[in-house]
Formats: sequence, structure tokens, C-alpha cells
Amino acid sequence: MNTQRQTSVAGLLIGFGLVAIAAVIAVDVSGMRVPPVHAKVGPRFFPLLVSCGLAVAGAVTAWQSWRGTFESEESHPTDWAAVAIVSAGLILHMNLLKPLGFVPAAVVLFMCVTFAFGSRSFLRDGVVALVLAMTAYLAFTRLLGLQLPPGVLAGVL
Amino acid sequence: MEAFGALLDGFATALTPINLMWSLVGVTLGTLIGILPGIGPALTIALLLPVTRTLDPTGAFIMFAGLYYGAMYGSSTTSILLNTPGESGSIVTALEGNQMARRGRGAAALATAAIGSFVAGTIGTMLLTFLAPLFVKLAILFGPAEYFALMVLAFTTVTTLLGSSVVKGLTSLMIGLAFGLAGTDILTGQPRLVFGIPSMLRGIDTVVVAVGLFAVGEALYMASRRDLREAVILPIKGSLFMTREEWRRSWKPWLRGTALGFPFGALPAGGTEIPTFLSYFMEKKLSKNPEEFGKGAIEGVAGPEAANNAAVAGVLVPLLALGLPTSATAAILLAAFEQYNLQPGPQLFTASGPLVWGLIASLYIGNVMLLVLNLPLAGLWVRLLAIPQPLLYGGILVFSTLGVYSLSNSTFDLVLLFVVGLIGFVMRRHDFPVAPAIIGLILGPMAEAQFRRALTISQGDASVFFTHPISLALLVIAALVLLLPALIRKLPVQKL
Repeated sequence: MNTQRQTSVAGLLIGFGLVAIAAVIAVDVSGMRVPPVHAKVGPRFFPLLVSCGLAVAGAVTAWQSWRGTFESEESHPTDWAAVAIVSAGLILHMNLLKPLGFVPAAVVLFMCVTFAFGSRSFLRDGVVALVLAMTAYLAFTRLLGLQLPPGVLAGVL
Repeated sequence: MEAFGALLDGFATALTPINLMWSLVGVTLGTLIGILPGIGPALTIALLLPVTRTLDPTGAFIMFAGLYYGAMYGSSTTSILLNTPGESGSIVTALEGNQMARRGRGAAALATAAIGSFVAGTIGTMLLTFLAPLFVKLAILFGPAEYFALMVLAFTTVTTLLGSSVVKGLTSLMIGLAFGLAGTDILTGQPRLVFGIPSMLRGIDTVVVAVGLFAVGEALYMASRRDLREAVILPIKGSLFMTREEWRRSWKPWLRGTALGFPFGALPAGGTEIPTFLSYFMEKKLSKNPEEFGKGAIEGVAGPEAANNAAVAGVLVPLLALGLPTSATAAILLAAFEQYNLQPGPQLFTASGPLVWGLIASLYIGNVMLLVLNLPLAGLWVRLLAIPQPLLYGGILVFSTLGVYSLSNSTFDLVLLFVVGLIGFVMRRHDFPVAPAIIGLILGPMAEAQFRRALTISQGDASVFFTHPISLALLVIAALVLLLPALIRKLPVQKL
């Protein structure tokens, strides 16, 4: 266990973030117009309860982080570049899926992830990505009857 | 003995060729995902939900249950040979199991894990067979107030028992509850936390949250930790036939592990982690050669592996009889019941008898299949561990995005998936438990509905929760669960 008592910046951010979410919920719910029939235990009661819970959890987390009793793994070395590349892969995927189609979007995502995880065997990764994406596309659309965007490969697959 | 007759009918359902096939698919897939690190039963069942929507529910549940059991069998292999648990229920197995493998007794470790899982799974299924109808009799007495109190109890136990601190458990639960709030209010039809986005009116799908927290969050976390990327796979050495000595040292831990695992699974305490830890420490205490612990004591594999399989059977008792999920996977199974418009509880046993009893019967069959799949074929499964980590996580994310997109062909779900994934990453990095969020997400809307229903019946009189004896008792237990650990911590006890 970490014995040194240091203020955890990440912990403080998490704490304030939770309080902010609590506030958003409270504001959103107070704006609701509730018919008088439901006034007693209407749709606002539970969200307000959750909002209070989040605010308390956030406040305690922030307090613990300030005092340095918040336990976390942030002492480990963190490869932020890898996190950014995986995130970029997911963002590219959601933007490419409709215009280019499932197969190209999945290949891009797969390549981003393998690169972030340290693989530099681009040929191997590319072949696996393509085979996986094509198989998944055919299996899901032909066998399971789900709809996936064909995109640029419309008519080919 | 009505349960026995119902069980025989169940076997008639489970032994039809099509259901046998679903069982085999389930246990095989379960073993596979159990072995692969980074993908677990909750995630897999969540990803299968959109695909199985059109399937016959009996077959789908037979497959899901086989998958849940199979994951427990398979994860021991990864723990023993790779020193990385395939699932959270096998964290403890890695302690002794990997040491055994290092000392050339990997085969014996795999054997005691598989046979122990079989013994525990079978005894657990028998207990399930006879206890579930008793729980159903209890459930008939439950009204909305009692159900609400029961869910409050589930919330407090998952909050206090999982994770490193109550605050972190509470945070996770509240995040789950907040996700559950979004969408159209069921009783008044009003939009809540929709922020003017039409796609949010449907609410946030369970699958999106589960896949986001388990797959995307996990992938981001593994990417961030370069030091976790390399692992050494040990070859299976030794004979798969345990020696007389190994049998002698294994059978008692199997039974003790079962005795611990089953009740803990049935309690709302998050499933398999706690009983496996307890079983490990119990075996260490009871062992005649405690000095062997840490150096490959077979008892330390036999006990926890039995405990995690028995816990799975235990989890199914409150899930089927009360509709109360006690682990993340059970919460996803509850979402699966909702998908088929089935309500677990007494109605399920009367209205869908063939489904419930076919499911229970399939567990007996699945256990036999798993023993065969895992013992002689262990060498084949191990090859899966040779899949390079980059390809594994690439594949997990491709299938995760595919599963989430196919929910309603909406790219907005992919945006949500990414956001939930980032939250999951932060939670994983700062040691917040994920299971309370999943349970809160699924039970939250149900708890709210029961709460409002109870108050509507009582015409707004909040005392219903305290004047009904069962409801009062459950709330008192919930309060104790929340307060006792804090009180115990105040006592001057040295922590390990």
C-alpha cells in the first residue's frame, strides 16, 4: 500500500467530476414539468436521490484525494500515447462506419489497436484484420440477418 | 419431490438435439472466453444479446448458462499456465496454480481444477434444483415494498463488499444508477436526462454500458499499462491423472470450496471473488503443510476452483426465483430475460416451466461436457494463449463495436460506447469496482418502479417499507451491512 500521503490530482478531478454530474442531473430533473397526480413520488424523486448519492461520493473522493488517502494505481508508468491511439481508432471507426462501410472501418480500428499494443507486424495485422472483418460481415449479414453498412464494398461482398 | 419430477421434464427439454447443441456451443464458447484474458462471461453474453434476439429463449438461456459455467472452467487454465487470471473468480487460483506449473505439476493443477469444478458444479446444481422452488414459495409473499427492500439490500452489499473502499463501491453503484435513469420515464412518459438528443429517449442500453466498461475500458487500461503486456506461458508438464496422494489432498478442499461458494453466490455479494479468497485462506489455515502455500499447494487450487463454480450455481438461485442478480454476469442474464419479455420469479416457474427446468437440467449435462472438454483437451485450449495480445484486443474491440452497433444500427450508440469506455478506463485505473455499476444500471429502474408502485398502493404513505415485516427485516439487514464494516474497522484490529 502506498504510504506516502500526497494529494492526488486525478482523485480531485474525479471527485469534482462526480459532483458536476450530480449537479447536471439535479438541474435537468428540476426542469421537468410533473403532472400534479404524480407530484408525491413522481419521476423526480429517484434522480434526486441518485444526484445526492453522486454528490456525496464525489465530495468524499475529493476530500480523500486532498488528504492523500485516495488509493489508485496512478503510480504505475502510463503509456498515454497508446491510450490516445486506441481512442483515435474508436473515433475513426464511428465516423467511417457509415460512409466507408463496416469492413474498412473495422480494419482501421483493428490496426490502431494492434499498433497501440506495440505490434509492428503490419502485414500480419492487416491480413488478420481483413479476414476477421470480412468473416464477421458475411456471418452477421448472411447467417444472422443483421444489417451492417456495406459502404465502398457494396455489391462486391 | 415435485422438483424431481420437474427436473425429469427438464431433462426431456435439455436432451433434445437442438438444446444439446446450444449447451455444447455455450460451454465451448465459455471455455474459450474463460481462457482468453480480457473477455469474460458478462461481456460475451452482452455481445450475444443482439444476435440471439430472434432465437428460441430456452436454447439461448441454455447457451448462456453453459457459457457462464464454462468461463469458470476455462479461466483456471489461464491462471495456472499464464499467471494471469482469465476471470476475476480465478485470481486466487493463480497463486498456487502457477507455482505448481513452474514446478512441473501443471497437469495436476489443471486436473484438480477441472475435477473440482465438476464436483462443485454438480453439487451446486443439485442445491439449485431443490432450493429454487423453496425460494419461489418465499417470493410469492413479496409485494412491491418487499422487492424494493430486497434491491436496497443488493445495493448495499455490492457497495460494501466489492472493491477496496465503500466510497468507491458507492461511486460505481451511483454511476450505474445514473445511466439507468436516462431515457423516457416508464410511468409518466416524460423524458429524463435526455439533453434534447432524440436517440437518448430510448435510454442507454445495458449492452452499451456493459461492453463499454468491460471491453473498451479494459482495452484502454491494458494499452496504458505497458508492463502488463508480456506474459510467459508455461508448458503443461506431468500426468493429467492425479496421483492417489493428490486425490487425497483435493477432495476435502473441493467440498469445503463448494460449501463456501454456493451460499456466497446466492447472496447479493457480487459472485465469485469473495468465496474464492475465503476458500484460499481457509485451506491455508486447515492445511497440514501450510509451508507449501506460495510454493504450489494443490489445496490452494482445489478449494478456490470448486468455490467459483459452486458460486455460479448459487448466483442462479436468486436470479431465477426472485429476479435478483448478485453478480455482473447475472445482471446481464436478467437483461436477457427482459429482452424476451420474461420476468424471473414465481411467474417464470409457472408460466415457463420447460425453460427453467430445461435450463437447470442443461447445467448437469454442461458440467459433464466441460469435464470432457477441459481435461483431455487442455493441451489444445492452451494454444489459444499463444494469440498475441495486440491481435486479441484488436479482435475484442472489433466485435464490441459490431455488437453495440447492431443493437439499433445507430452510430450514436458507438459514441456512448466510447464515453462509457473512458469512464471504465478511469474506474479501472483508480481501482473502482465495475460490478456495482452493472447491477445498479439493471436494478435501478426496477427498484424505482417497485418503489413508486409500493407508494401508489399505499397512497403515498412511506411507512409501507417499515410496517411490512419482510420489507423491514430486509432494510434492517441492509443497514447492518452498510454500518458493520465501519464499526469493525473502528476496533483496533491489525490489518494484514
